[in-house]
Amino acid sequence: MSRINDVGGMAGFPAVLEEPDEPPFHADWEAHVFALNGALIKRGVYNLDEFRDAQERLPVEQYLAASYYERWFAAITTLLREKGVATAAELHGH
Amino acid sequence: MGTDLAPGDRVRTRATDPAGHTRLPRYARGAVGVLVERAGRHPLADDRARGVPAEPQPVWHVRFAAADLFGAGDHTVTVELWQEYLTRVEEDA
Repeated sequence: MSRINDVGGMAGFPAVLEEPDEPPFHADWEAHVFALNGALIKRGVYNLDEFRDAQERLPVEQYLAASYYERWFAAITTLLREKGVATAAELHGH
Repeated sequence: MGTDLAPGDRVRTRATDPAGHTRLPRYARGAVGVLVERAGRHPLADDRARGVPAEPQPVWHVRFAAADLFGAGDHTVTVELWQEYLTRVEEDA
């Protein structure tokens, strides 16, 4: 069964908008998410394919509504819970 | 799938879509293309995403006619695909 990420060739999406002189990050937190993911993969907490899989199995409505790095953050927190690195309560700051 | 594929071979991609992560996009499923060149050897992403040990296997650049994938277009589309996704199409088949 195809998942929500696999939309190549599908009709109905608007054209991809190119942003002139696009910066690597649009907010500071995005750079932190980028660095956090690299560190967790280098530490062997999970691998790149598990990370992609975690994005692809986000709830469809969440996947479509999220920005690029919001999807990354959601996948990271999913994997941290599943790998036993952090509890849901810890991730919510309790 | 053996390792007897060679550039120029016509191949058909896997038509089914197993549950979970895969690097074979839906638009290229069950399609016939031509092997362009080897693109190294890598563990199958589908297996790594499931936490299954995966030995490196060949990855290929596979060229498709856009019209075969999308029903229109004069250009070609080249996709990097693991050998496991591919079955050689015999010449007279």
